[in-house]
Amino acid sequence: MITNELKNVILKQLNLDEFEMTDETVAPDVPGWDSLNHINIIVAVEEFFKVRFKSMEVLKLKNVGDLQRLVDAKLNK
Amino acid sequence: MDKPKTLWKTWLRNAELNPDKEAIVHWIAGEEPIRLTFASLIETAKKFSAFIYNSGIMKDDVCAIIMRHNHFLYPLYMGISRTGALPAILAYPNPRLHPEKFRQGLEGMSQRSGLDYIFTERELEPLIRPLIEKPGSTIKSVIFPLEWDLSKPADEKTDLKIESLASEVKETDYFLVQHSSGTTGLQKPIAVTHKMMLEHAWQCVKALKITGEDKIVSWLPLYHDMGLIGAFHIPLSYGITSIHISPFEWVLAPILMLEVIDKEKATISYIPNFAYNFLSEKIPEEELEGISLESMRLLINGAEPIRHDSHEKFVNKFQKYKFNPLALTSIYGMAETTLAITYTEVGKPLTELKLDRNKLSQGIVKFADENSVVRICVSCGKLIDGCDAHIVDDNRRIMPEGFVGEIAVNSISMFDGYRNYPEKTTEVFEDGWYFTGDYGFKYDDELYVIGRKKDIIIVAGKNIYPEDIEDAINQVEGIIPGRIIAFGEDDPSLGTELVSVVAETKLENDADKNKLRMEILKAGMSIDINIHRVYLVPTKWLIKSSAGKPSRKANKERLTSGTDPHVWSR
Repeated sequence: MITNELKNVILKQLNLDEFEMTDETVAPDVPGWDSLNHINIIVAVEEFFKVRFKSMEVLKLKNVGDLQRLVDAKLNK
Repeated sequence: MDKPKTLWKTWLRNAELNPDKEAIVHWIAGEEPIRLTFASLIETAKKFSAFIYNSGIMKDDVCAIIMRHNHFLYPLYMGISRTGALPAILAYPNPRLHPEKFRQGLEGMSQRSGLDYIFTERELEPLIRPLIEKPGSTIKSVIFPLEWDLSKPADEKTDLKIESLASEVKETDYFLVQHSSGTTGLQKPIAVTHKMMLEHAWQCVKALKITGEDKIVSWLPLYHDMGLIGAFHIPLSYGITSIHISPFEWVLAPILMLEVIDKEKATISYIPNFAYNFLSEKIPEEELEGISLESMRLLINGAEPIRHDSHEKFVNKFQKYKFNPLALTSIYGMAETTLAITYTEVGKPLTELKLDRNKLSQGIVKFADENSVVRICVSCGKLIDGCDAHIVDDNRRIMPEGFVGEIAVNSISMFDGYRNYPEKTTEVFEDGWYFTGDYGFKYDDELYVIGRKKDIIIVAGKNIYPEDIEDAINQVEGIIPGRIIAFGEDDPSLGTELVSVVAETKLENDADKNKLRMEILKAGMSIDINIHRVYLVPTKWLIKSSAGKPSRKANKERLTSGTDPHVWSR
């Protein structure tokens, strides 16, 4: 399950008020989340949760659920 | 020794001279790269060509290749060329692109380019098959070359027959169809001959002082002229190594390019301007530990306007990683001239002029003084051999130095008109000169490009026609049909343009406007365009041009210069 915190960081970065997201949501489903913007979302998530991702970890992300799990792993949740 | 006159013979000669030299290094993040020698490329290309020949494909048939980053793409392309058919690499559809929009784009393109066959991956079959079955389609078949069994050599008789066909090909024959720009059906096809390509390759090799030791690294897609000609054809023709990174992987992990430079000791790369900002700002220092860019001798900026600030950011960030600022190079060119018209001089600092911005906007080149608002213009360099350029006025008369006008170019590698598109050709082609639609000036034998006559938007090196966006958004409920404009807004921090849209609507409250904005964003997504900003205005707000349509230029100026309380934007 993606947390409201993660969802809000993504929505804020994309300048959206609301967009339904599940674990299976992928970037192309979400307005504004294109390949160029992807790295900005990653940086925003890193800054908010005070974590740092490696490039290979970012490359392996397939959907929002993967991003949530990566954040959780970094926070030792 | 005489140079071979066709691409296939050139590639064969390179394989004979340096069979074991690496021709292509196919890079995949986190895996061992796949290394293809000149000899192994030829061997696999021969196997592909036998399958292609046996599929009934003939000389001059146009064969579109729509594939993701795959090491078989290179020999497939070469195999198509060996049979005398014409390869044309097209973009693999992004998942957000609506299937119908993809088909429409392909259909529009097939009418112009005369696409005969589509080589693709099985996954795209459901998308493409209906197009072939449509009455009147030019596309004869969809082919899945990755499923061919390449474990055995081609049958000897077939191979001899194909080699004999390859020997009949003349240097003036077409060998490739590339597409100038644009998102969908508005793409303009350009057929390139062997002579155009090879002469151009030699001129670029000379201008860039390329030697056998050079290695080109690229993450540019091969449907882009700078990727295909600059990073694939020039090295393959000259017999040097090129390293190819997936564009999708690079944009997610820009460090990849720098890792390749470091590990493979790459020396040359072509990148669009936004990439200087992207590389400078999106890679944390800790990831750069141990990276050396010492081997890079040419980092060539092209495909979108060149910005002083982007170069400065890059040098400031990467000088400590041994990047040599003299490696900064720029190019001006276009698919219509195969690739380049100018390059800056190798190993010398780029010329930058500090000009008076206001005078420049009036078309006058005047150096800035203490009262001026300054614009720094970065040189695109000097004409390469075999090319010429004029600055012309609205009546296509040559202007003297010191004035801004449209750039008209001429080249030994010039196209002979858009394929099956005479009306477009007539607009831009006159007496052997191509009128580029770019604005610029010449100073001290160097060319400076400062803007565009055409309304085209360039986002991260990709050309986008506003008409494509306007057509997609015109269907959205809540806007006044036909009362919409798409345009590019400069983002200096990103070093590129972003897409904005302004539409007239009768909606008045904020919640409704937010909903409408979301629908506009989704309509952009359906054609794989990311709309950055939406402006909503009341009815009859947009300024019309003399033709009665909303004027892109006038409305952009009105929106970006004023603070009209009637304008809602987000």
